[in-house]
Amino acid sequence: MTQIPVLSFQRSERDRVVAGICGGLAAALGVDATLVRLVFAVLALAGGAGILLYFALWVWTGGRHPVIAVLILALATMGLLQALGVPWSVVLGAGLLVAGLVLLARRGATLRPGGGSLFIPGIALAMAGAVVLLDHLGSSGHVFGPGALAGALVLVLAPWVWRLASERTERIRLAERAAIAARIHDSVLQTLALVQRDADDAPRVRALARRQERELRRWLYGSGYGDAETLADALAEAVADVEEAHLVRIELAMSGDAPLDDALTQVVLAAREALVNAAKHAQSDDISVYAEVEPAAVSVFVRDRGIGFDRSAVGPDRRGIAESIESRMRQAGGSATITSAPGEGTEIELTMPRGGAS
Amino acid sequence: MIRVVLVDDHELFRAGVRNELSGLVDIVGEAGSVAEATRLIREVDPEVVLLDVHLPDGGGEAVIAAVAQERPAVRFLALSVSDAAEDVIAVIRAGARGYVTKTISRDELADAIRRVAEGDAVFSPRLAGFVLDAFRSGEPMGADEELETLTPREREVLQLIARGYMYKEIAARLSLSVKTIEAHVSSVLRKLQLSTRHELARWAQERRLV
Repeated sequence: MTQIPVLSFQRSERDRVVAGICGGLAAALGVDATLVRLVFAVLALAGGAGILLYFALWVWTGGRHPVIAVLILALATMGLLQALGVPWSVVLGAGLLVAGLVLLARRGATLRPGGGSLFIPGIALAMAGAVVLLDHLGSSGHVFGPGALAGALVLVLAPWVWRLASERTERIRLAERAAIAARIHDSVLQTLALVQRDADDAPRVRALARRQERELRRWLYGSGYGDAETLADALAEAVADVEEAHLVRIELAMSGDAPLDDALTQVVLAAREALVNAAKHAQSDDISVYAEVEPAAVSVFVRDRGIGFDRSAVGPDRRGIAESIESRMRQAGGSATITSAPGEGTEIELTMPRGGAS
Repeated sequence: MIRVVLVDDHELFRAGVRNELSGLVDIVGEAGSVAEATRLIREVDPEVVLLDVHLPDGGGEAVIAAVAQERPAVRFLALSVSDAAEDVIAVIRAGARGYVTKTISRDELADAIRRVAEGDAVFSPRLAGFVLDAFRSGEPMGADEELETLTPREREVLQLIARGYMYKEIAARLSLSVKTIEAHVSSVLRKLQLSTRHELARWAQERRLV
């Protein structure tokens, strides 16, 4: 915060000749009142500046008409400068500058912008004064002209820029917080609410917790939401979906990973079908998926420890699913092998050759 | 009953595990940090330490490093919610005899503790996948070639573990005894801990390990 030291004083009730201004100033400055009166007397000789200054301070201490006080003060400055033989444009510029700065300083003695009613006129006066002053200095070939103007602008604008920048940082921080709050509300709090509601349904609570854990982990450390870009991410998504929809526990293991292309997307879809098939029919909540990326091929194994089936003996719906998985893989250029026997669980192996991979 | 120390910085999780394992193993102490765990293990000398990979004052490997020398009989089984390969491999290389995820069922966890106490290695499907990945393709670079590569049989066993088969099922499938399967897994664990394999180092570095 930019503090401007402002002399604060009160009219002296005790030590007074006219209104107690000199006495008050002397008390505030810690000097003899006679000395202050002498200065005012000398200044009074300089174009009447001393007298004007006296009135300005008198009005100022009253506190009700700061603008009038400032105007008188500005006139006093102008009178003083003219008495000293300073050119008129400098006198005008200095007067405006002083008036503006005093108005600004009055606003709680700070240069930081804030809603003071005299802020805008203060800025305007100071700017006008600076321009008149600098115009004179510039036309007289003074080298400090442009630099001084830049300095004045920096002085006036810096607090604003500073505030805008800090407001922007604050806004970004708030936006981040809001995003985190929204995400936690949408996911974690929802899950906790569901867990409380379904507290007696252990498999469901477990599935909810697992899915929430995956989501949170992916959000915190992983590639974020949206479409998966690798085989591992896509399989993890498929696993999470099936776990939640069918209340089963699926263990996913990976060796290697590969970017998700069209052929691998078909593999993931086939694996998902196999998972749903196991979740629905195997009567076991223990399912494993293992995906292995080798230079020559990608293999995915979906295994359950359930009741298994004899392919020639099962109803058309289970056979249909198996055939759907096989034809999907064939069309994409791969193959599917289904191994199962009653009581021995089922394993579906999906293989997709990798063309052009080194 | 097997005497077990539980190390995890989440009290709620410890309470859950203690509750689940009651009657199956003897939980003789709990710790929530590396410093606490080190002190506790020296004091109660357990058979197995169930060890969280992430602790506030260091990783699970810090606990192993602090007590492994003076208490060589203590076995460590890493237990974590972490899916990250580097966490898994780091704690195994530090000396843990196995790794299971926190979503493991009660009976599987009790069984894993029993196997680790007997000196076996416990590979979850996920760990088997990571290990296969670590030892995949590429020429061995270390001096000891035996340490740097997996035998075809070891690879086969690991693949079946990754696919979700239990040791008993693997043994039946490969016409071997369960003991032989366990020997293969222990051999893989030894290679994982001792290997200076170039490929393994590179793999680890890619995952910001070592």
